Amino acid sequence: MSLRLPAFPFDNRRVVGALFLAPALLYILLIVGFPFLLAIAFGFSDVTVGNTDLNFVGFRNFEAVWDNAIFRQVFETTIRFTLISQVFILLFANILAIIFTQDFTGKWFARFIFILPWATPVSLAMIGWLWMLDTKYSPIDYLLLQTGFLGPGGILSKDRNLFWLASPDLAQISVIFVQVWRMTPLATVILMAGLSSIPTDILDQAEVDGSRFMRTLLLIKLPLILPIMVIALLFSMITMFGDMTVVYVLTRGGPVDYTRVLGLYSFQVGIEGGNLAQGAAISLFAFPLLLAMAIFMLRTASRAEVR
Amino acid sequence: MTSIIRTLIVLTICAAVSAASAAQDGFPDGTEISLLQWSHFVPTYDEWFDAYTREWGAANNVSVTVDHVNFTELPTSLAAEIDAGQGHTIIELPSSPASLVQGLHDLSDINSQADALFGERRHHCKAVTYLPSVGVYYGFAAGYALNHGNYDIELWAAAGYPEGPKTYEDLLAGGRAIFEATGIPVGIGISPEIDSEIANREVIWSFGGSVQDESGNAVFNSPATVAAVKYLAQLQNQAMTAEVFGWTGASNNQALVAGAASFILNPDSAYRSLQKVDRPAAANIGFTPALVGPAGAFGGTHAFISVIPAYVEGSQLQAAKKFLLDLAANYSEITYHSELFNLPCFPGTVTELDSWLDDDPFGSSPADKFAVLKTAIDRSVNFGFPGFSNPAIAQVYAEHIIPKVIAQVALGEATAEDAVALAGERIEEIFAHWRSLGLVGSGG
Repeated sequence: MSLRLPAFPFDNRRVVGALFLAPALLYILLIVGFPFLLAIAFGFSDVTVGNTDLNFVGFRNFEAVWDNAIFRQVFETTIRFTLISQVFILLFANILAIIFTQDFTGKWFARFIFILPWATPVSLAMIGWLWMLDTKYSPIDYLLLQTGFLGPGGILSKDRNLFWLASPDLAQISVIFVQVWRMTPLATVILMAGLSSIPTDILDQAEVDGSRFMRTLLLIKLPLILPIMVIALLFSMITMFGDMTVVYVLTRGGPVDYTRVLGLYSFQVGIEGGNLAQGAAISLFAFPLLLAMAIFMLRTASRAEVR
Repeated sequence: MTSIIRTLIVLTICAAVSAASAAQDGFPDGTEISLLQWSHFVPTYDEWFDAYTREWGAANNVSVTVDHVNFTELPTSLAAEIDAGQGHTIIELPSSPASLVQGLHDLSDINSQADALFGERRHHCKAVTYLPSVGVYYGFAAGYALNHGNYDIELWAAAGYPEGPKTYEDLLAGGRAIFEATGIPVGIGISPEIDSEIANREVIWSFGGSVQDESGNAVFNSPATVAAVKYLAQLQNQAMTAEVFGWTGASNNQALVAGAASFILNPDSAYRSLQKVDRPAAANIGFTPALVGPAGAFGGTHAFISVIPAYVEGSQLQAAKKFLLDLAANYSEITYHSELFNLPCFPGTVTELDSWLDDDPFGSSPADKFAVLKTAIDRSVNFGFPGFSNPAIAQVYAEHIIPKVIAQVALGEATAEDAVALAGERIEEIFAHWRSLGLVGSGG
């Protein structure tokens, strides 16, 4: 005779599942969903920072933003910075993930040091970089000057400084470099998780079959972690596409408009300029692109997954 | 008409009596005000100011707290507090918050009282607190900092200008000669930040150009602006390094203290920084008023604009207004403790100013180094000159359109005519937007 226990709501998998999901859903609704809906409402209104009455104006703000030559240039810069950064992030993250999944002395310390750029608050880290790349007192310039690369007769420049954040080319390189420095640890950690999850019997089998390092890497490891690599890339791209802190602290978009990105321009127009409606419209232009990118990448990841 | 004037006089007297009565009796128990303002360039000023607020609070039965933050954070803090409907009672900003006018109290009453109590007011102080299109004083400015030339006396004397440059022609010729001979450049920023924005506008005004006219019409695209942009590009190419494209709020100070610029445009804070670390080097710095261009000489100002957000009510509002009026009355103390950085919008409040400028109480060598500022004061104008500051002017600044145009031309990426025309289109769009909201115009 079996004992039949009374029905309990938590016995129902659907109820338990919903309960477990609830905090995450609530978080997304409050932190992401509500501001997103608010941004849409702002984008279709004439709201200003001083007057938050929502008067519907149709697509006027979106038309004005699209007609704005600065916006088009900023949009192009944002895409360019994001794509170039991702190439380097993916390359470095793969190399570092492979290194950090090997056994060597001091591995845990090396991992700890390496994760710091990601763990450090971004504004704090950028103040550090602002000093490193200072137009007059950059320690990098000082080292180059001492080693004869800068100054009279210098190979890189006759000046005593390279003007990292003032020269159009170097300012762009600096911003991309700092973004790569900041985002690579996250991508590396995700890839390390992917590499650790590869069943050891597959790797053992490859070893028994005489597969060497590069062959194992290119034909076994990378294909197996491709889905997770796509996720790492997606995280990194979305974070960078919407970021404004790096350029806000380092260059404020200059010189000229070379480092002005979408997040910064939206902030300058919407908050600093008081034109909240157009600021919202500027930021919303990123949404369709990011959505399409996310769908494409998630589908790619799903197809690449080994079932 | 007579009855309106009579009513206005009665109301003014009532307000003055009410303020005087409040001063005598103090405010109701529990009245609190909080201030948010920038960390002053002269650190001892903040110490004096905090002590002053405590004394004022004790005398008026008001609890006063003061928060000091970096000046770049103030506009966004104010915007956030207005949207939240709570925050500080008084916020002091170094730039006009005209775009927030609908979230701020109309301070016409204390502006009228200040006019009656303190007499003449510098027009540029009114122009950054009054929005003519809606007839509202959204702020109250009792003081400002004045941009002026700071030059290396030895370098300029060697170049044949013992009293420094007086015109923009002098600046180009002398600055170029010094740069070629010593490698020390002129330091005028062409970068998206406040010092560059003011310095760039000074040149444009002096060449006869401007962002708007007196009535708030966008007029940036003009031959005068093109000429000014060409001049600045030439100055950059011949007398400055690429550093000016990455100029920051600290660059003027850094350049002067390091002896790495022959000329900068800045209030006296950079000089005072140098004076504290190297008196002989400071003695080698001379001041010039705004340089003369083809259309005159116009010096930029940073007015210190106090605003009271609309969420402030009751006795708190009355206490805040009284605090601002009392502070204006005490501007002599402010000018002194800021080491002559803060100058009065109401000259009558600092009767000692001329004697301080003639004989610097903070040990400048020569003692009359600041005397030249008397001329500089007469050349001072506001950020939106020749019109009033308004939300469109604020957005043109926020988008950093002007330094961008000049940098484009200096880098050879566009002709001055094309760059100014393109920027002019964007500026017209911005003005059209704010005009459609009724917040631009009628300033003439």
